[in-house]
Amino acid sequence: MHTASPLFQQYEPDSPRFYDEVFSAKKQARHHYTTLVERFNELDAESLNARRRAIDILLLNQGVTFTVYSATEGIERIFPFDLIPRVVPGSEWQVIEKGLTQRVTALNLFLHDLYHEQRILKDGVMPADLVLGSKHFRREFVGVNPPLGVYIHVTGSDLIRDSSGRYLVLEDNLRCPSGVSYMLQNRQVMKRALPMLFDNYQVRPIEDYPQQLLHVLQDIAPRGVSDPGVVVLTPGIYNSAFYEHSFLARQMGVDLTEGGDLVVNDNRVYKRTTQGLTPVDVIYRRVDDDFLDPLVFRGESKLGVAGLVNAYRAGNVALANAIGTGVADDKVIYSFVPRIIRYYLDQDPVLENVPTYLASDPSERKMILANLDRLVVKAANESGGYGMLVGTDSTAAQRDEFRARIEADPRNYIAQDTVMLSRHPSFSHDQGLFGCHIDLRPYVLYGEHISIVPGGLTRVALKPGSLVVNSSQGGGSKDTWVLYDE
Amino acid sequence: MLSRVAESMFWMSRYIERAENTACFLDVNYHLSLDLHQVSGGESLDYWESLIQVTGEQDRFQKLYEGYDSNSVTDFLLFNPTNPSSISSCIALARENARSSVEALSSEIWEGINNLYHFVLQADPAEVRGDPFSFCRAVKIGSQLFQGGADATLLRNEGWDFVQLGKYLERADNIARLVDVKYDLLSPSDGASNEAQDVILWMSVLKSCSALEAFRKVHLSRLDPEGILGFLVLERSFPRSILYSIAAAEKALWHVSGSSHGRFSSNADRLIGKLESELSYVSVDDLVGELRPFLVELEQQLKQIGEQIHQTYFAYQGADVEIAEGGIPLRFLGLVSGRPNWRHAEQQQQQEGPR
Repeated sequence: MHTASPLFQQYEPDSPRFYDEVFSAKKQARHHYTTLVERFNELDAESLNARRRAIDILLLNQGVTFTVYSATEGIERIFPFDLIPRVVPGSEWQVIEKGLTQRVTALNLFLHDLYHEQRILKDGVMPADLVLGSKHFRREFVGVNPPLGVYIHVTGSDLIRDSSGRYLVLEDNLRCPSGVSYMLQNRQVMKRALPMLFDNYQVRPIEDYPQQLLHVLQDIAPRGVSDPGVVVLTPGIYNSAFYEHSFLARQMGVDLTEGGDLVVNDNRVYKRTTQGLTPVDVIYRRVDDDFLDPLVFRGESKLGVAGLVNAYRAGNVALANAIGTGVADDKVIYSFVPRIIRYYLDQDPVLENVPTYLASDPSERKMILANLDRLVVKAANESGGYGMLVGTDSTAAQRDEFRARIEADPRNYIAQDTVMLSRHPSFSHDQGLFGCHIDLRPYVLYGEHISIVPGGLTRVALKPGSLVVNSSQGGGSKDTWVLYDE
Repeated sequence: MLSRVAESMFWMSRYIERAENTACFLDVNYHLSLDLHQVSGGESLDYWESLIQVTGEQDRFQKLYEGYDSNSVTDFLLFNPTNPSSISSCIALARENARSSVEALSSEIWEGINNLYHFVLQADPAEVRGDPFSFCRAVKIGSQLFQGGADATLLRNEGWDFVQLGKYLERADNIARLVDVKYDLLSPSDGASNEAQDVILWMSVLKSCSALEAFRKVHLSRLDPEGILGFLVLERSFPRSILYSIAAAEKALWHVSGSSHGRFSSNADRLIGKLESELSYVSVDDLVGELRPFLVELEQQLKQIGEQIHQTYFAYQGADVEIAEGGIPLRFLGLVSGRPNWRHAEQQQQQEGPR
């Protein structure tokens, strides 16, 4: 007996301004969502709320938390979980899979070229000064050969959908993309909270991600090592993504190390154990390049391992991801990715970029400065939603501040058209169902070959109306179901 | 096992044990103070001071509070963030160490500690100060849940051994301190009128170590100071006695080092073997006259054993790494249970999401 009206009755998709993932224009549930909508309509807000609270307590007790940085201290929070899953039909996933495989292949070829012959610069496809001047270009690594020629073993590219529902790439994360533990955790939580939803859906499993990651890490072990010693390297328990580092280490059954646990002797890496030194062959490092080795990069870093880079150059240890990959996810370089794909693969990009303007180009800079109120401005090397201006949502003072910053350092800024991110209903205890903007970060693994787990982290901008999905800016996430082809 | 992880598991276990012991003896003594109030008709300040003596933190206490009374002592032992032995500090440190070794723990243990941490964090200090019973009880249960969970789920590898080692070394130390401070209470007072008070006090000493019921099973109703002393220090069948703890810690060390009775392969093995032998052959009569020096010596030896464990297993000295062009060599300095602040700051610098 339901006295209250069905949950979805009061939900208002704001189309055609935004693409609504669940409903088409006439509030007709899309084919792959019909059953889900029916199921949710059988539940009432009270029981959903109870389930949500139970999940929050579960996550807190499991320590599934991240740290938000404020001026004085880090505060531990759970990453808000939204109960309404996102459904991606098999046909859409095929496009995403094809597009990301193409993109990662091309970016890896680009990195290899950049750290070897630099053909792409010699052929004048990209301006050499922009590339070589990137903060993350490591000239020390020109000529170094990573195992299998692979630089980007783990990639997390952020996808969004515009108002017509087309998938676009918003940015690439080629250094230490995070969030995959939340993808896995969300599925676990979803199965516990609302098991009956899975009944009528053929959801593709994602649980083998840690196993696949381990295979990639074993693939890249130095030649001649039959049973490689693999470790995860974390900055430590105060890092905001520490939970993920420990989660992955535990799932893979390998040691989670801090810089102080490793030592380099005679260009070989060892871990300090209660029984002495034990060799390490592969490091899945979640420490940025800058902190990796105090002898080569930041001398004051206590997070890294002295001598690690030399051991790497000597080919005695493999790092995932390789050093110097950041040059290819620089937001300025991002704007050249379609050209990079055409140059190396002679193909049209399957997934397109968001239209992007470079402040370093005088005419584009002029255009950017004249349109600050309707563009999104980003610093080339910042992440996590820091150093960003959403023009449509900004004050005059903020725009003036960015104007000054852009004029002072044009190479460091880009601007993008404001994309009306697609919306998906989210559930909150006081508002019931309401539309929130979402994106999607699938995880691409690259060892002997490229593989993509059918799923990803769907991040949700839980602040009503907000276009920023970053967890540090009040975002949450939801389970993402990729369906088998029908 | 990584030295750091072994060390974290060792300290996690120590801090939880310390929290449990503090909870136990605070609870008992809080209630005892209510009894004493009736018996002697006034609040004794010495009485509260002795509780701080047990933790060895008098200096810190005096800097923070005006004097020794029930409110300040309870606050200091339960919640004071600057007191590293307060229950809330212990639980926070235990959790930090658990976090740093989380991939070596079972999820049951990790969730249990997390649970306890959030419970302590959310407790209202004012409310608990007025009535510490249920709070102390929850801490004790949390600690026992941890030990039980460890027993039921942990792989019997070095991690388990270091958890046992931490627990028993901490317990031996805590009981020794408690006996040291409380022994004065164990001398009979003059006159029959005080007999009731004596019995209450003696019982409280046993209760502070969760030993009253076990004591009665061994000694029936005969409650006397020598019997109590012998029980807390030398009773081989009581898991909270000093001798039992030392013997159990010795067994854990053997398991790590591969050593056995009468042999040793490290200084830690040797020192704990020596201590265990001594306690095995000492009698209550030996103790009574010489208790003070005996306990001081015991605490000293426990400290040395702890240092030797650190040297042997945690602070593995790797080869120094020379920095080219006349820089200073970097040396592995080992780890301490409290992490220096620069680590905190630097780990924050690297902000890599979940974004």
